[in-house]
Amino acid sequence: MSLPISRLAALSAASVAALVLLRAASFVPVHDVRSDSAWVRLSWSARPERIEHCRRLSDAELAERPAHMRLRLECEGRFARYGLQLMVDGAVVLVDTVQGGGLRNDRPMHVLRETPLTPGTRAVRVVLVRLDTLSTPDAESEGVATPESDAVLGDRGAREREERQRRSEEGIPPQLSLDTTVTLGAGRVLLVTYDGEKRALATRTGGS
Amino acid sequence: MRSLERLALRLVRALDSACHRLLGWRYNPLHQSGSIAVALLTLLILTGLYLLVVYRVSAPWESVARLQADPWIGRWMRGVHRYASDALVVAVAAHVLRMFAQARGWGARTLAWTSGVLLLFLLLISGWTGFVMVWDTFGAQLAMAGARLFDALPILSEPVGRTFAGDREIPSAFFFLNLFLHVALPLGAGVGIWLHVSRIARPTLLPPRPLMWGIGLGLLALALFVPAPLPPEADPFHYTATVPLNLFYAFWLPLASSLPVWAAWAGAGATLGVALAIPRLTRRPREGSWSPSVVDPRLCTGCEQCPKDCPWEAITMRARDDDRPTLVAHVDPALCVSCGICAGSCPPMGVGPAHRTGRDQLVDIRALARDVLSVAGAPQVVAICCENAAPTHLDAVRREGAVVQTVTCSGNLHSSVVELALRGGASGVLVFSCPPRDCRGREGPKWLTERMFNGRDAELQERVDRRRVATATMVVGDLAHTLATLREFRASLAPLGSGGAVDLTELDVECESGAALVEAEER
Repeated sequence: MSLPISRLAALSAASVAALVLLRAASFVPVHDVRSDSAWVRLSWSARPERIEHCRRLSDAELAERPAHMRLRLECEGRFARYGLQLMVDGAVVLVDTVQGGGLRNDRPMHVLRETPLTPGTRAVRVVLVRLDTLSTPDAESEGVATPESDAVLGDRGAREREERQRRSEEGIPPQLSLDTTVTLGAGRVLLVTYDGEKRALATRTGGS
Repeated sequence: MRSLERLALRLVRALDSACHRLLGWRYNPLHQSGSIAVALLTLLILTGLYLLVVYRVSAPWESVARLQADPWIGRWMRGVHRYASDALVVAVAAHVLRMFAQARGWGARTLAWTSGVLLLFLLLISGWTGFVMVWDTFGAQLAMAGARLFDALPILSEPVGRTFAGDREIPSAFFFLNLFLHVALPLGAGVGIWLHVSRIARPTLLPPRPLMWGIGLGLLALALFVPAPLPPEADPFHYTATVPLNLFYAFWLPLASSLPVWAAWAGAGATLGVALAIPRLTRRPREGSWSPSVVDPRLCTGCEQCPKDCPWEAITMRARDDDRPTLVAHVDPALCVSCGICAGSCPPMGVGPAHRTGRDQLVDIRALARDVLSVAGAPQVVAICCENAAPTHLDAVRREGAVVQTVTCSGNLHSSVVELALRGGASGVLVFSCPPRDCRGREGPKWLTERMFNGRDAELQERVDRRRVATATMVVGDLAHTLATLREFRASLAPLGSGGAVDLTELDVECESGAALVEAEER
């Protein structure tokens, strides 16, 4: 393909223009509006508490059950809902109800909320309170099983108590709160999360 | 929808016109957008293989930063990969626009259109994973936007967005999943491309070499002289003021971010719905110029030329239901796009779309000979023009003194028409076709040349003086070339003297002997 000089020049110019356009459209500097504000991000996953009524079965009742279905405590209930509140400088900026995932709400509850703040020094308060309570007190529903030996269940009784204890400890406490004062610049994020080991809310602000 | 098609066609012709002036029709990239897309995908796979070796799912941004710091291979390899992926979107967009403008997305082409839409969807997803893999500020923004959309669906109980919240390290599994998808989707696209071209015969998968090398070297030069920058690493605790947005893959991001999630999903769903509905919205009634080819079994000699020439594999040979020993051609109307190429391939003129068979063309040219050529003072050049090539040139060709006859595709033209035009008094016949890579019938110009000059059935008879026949390409934006070709052809005819009209009876008898046979059979 031999081209006259003028056409070659036009072709070169068009090719360069096309490449420049390609490059320009590949990296278009766009302002991220989120960088204008400071942010509080609430993010955690935790198991909700189980709210249930339990009844202690007698030895005779247990004996009537098939061997693989024998549990000393027979419980009915559901998983608790929690009220979530975020306050900044004393003003409530977020109110929400959270509960476990899944159709029966028996999965962990996952929280992910972001709220913009005016950059600067802010007093932040986060409160998570259980909304559901038992209509009648029932000590065993809280997982505090009596440390008696079980003549009918034997080792299985101990395992049942341990399992109830473990589930109880896995659940998030009925009330959590966090108060902190932070200085956040524009675009900076304060993360409030749940520390499962300390069973308390905690904050992180990255490297800022 | 028709007005949108017309608007798109005007745009396509304007772009074609500019490209023809710059590059000429042979190397107009807009005619080869589909094959350029395949070439770019190949380039992406080749450069991606190198990047795959260097990439680390445990330290994504750091591994890309190391790549970027390597001026010998890494930086330009990443740049070519990035720019080729952008160019791929441009090529696909040009391809979509062209197919829509030329009404090439319905009927037998529905599968190609639908698979093309899904391929485009795969391309955008694959690009999304590629940007997220880098885990720079833009990748993180894209990931969070995707998570926001995904979390609105009742699929996972834990929001995907929590992965990027900062309360824990982003698991390597996330980047591994991205890497897996980024590799698997293009490989899956290979299957999609096979499906995309499965209904066409002899698909052209690569552009002409000069164009392919030109594009490749252009992208390499861009990567060398303007390397793709690497934005800062994503920080979950900091939103940066400016993010380098990639318009090709994230054109939807600003809008989707500002809309409620349901509205973003509704917009995406509506767009996909409209794209998939194009075959239904643009389909034509199968009549007139869109009527499918039919075979007259009484004329079919079973030569098997039409199935060889059909670019859509719409014709098969079947056993006859009479006592003749040959096979008979059968057209599947669901696969036929009404290009009419079969009409030009059939010596006894027994196949073709209604009103466009060889016999119909003979009737037209005979009328032309009687009404125009025979009453003209001197023998004239007959210009047979593809009506899709450059409709705006036809008047200029007429003003130049040629008698213009149009055909829906130059491959539709039966060689006997050329002979009949010469015998009817034309001094020469010049057939203008559209550029071979832009033929709506796909192979019209190719078969035309073969039939006129290389003896392919239905070939131009040996008795016809080849010096009085020429084929040429007519393209929008280059009227000067069209007129120059016509003048040159006319000048080449001058030494030959006038052809002059001859008695057409002999040819009539020859051409219509098949018809006489049929009539005899009917009697």
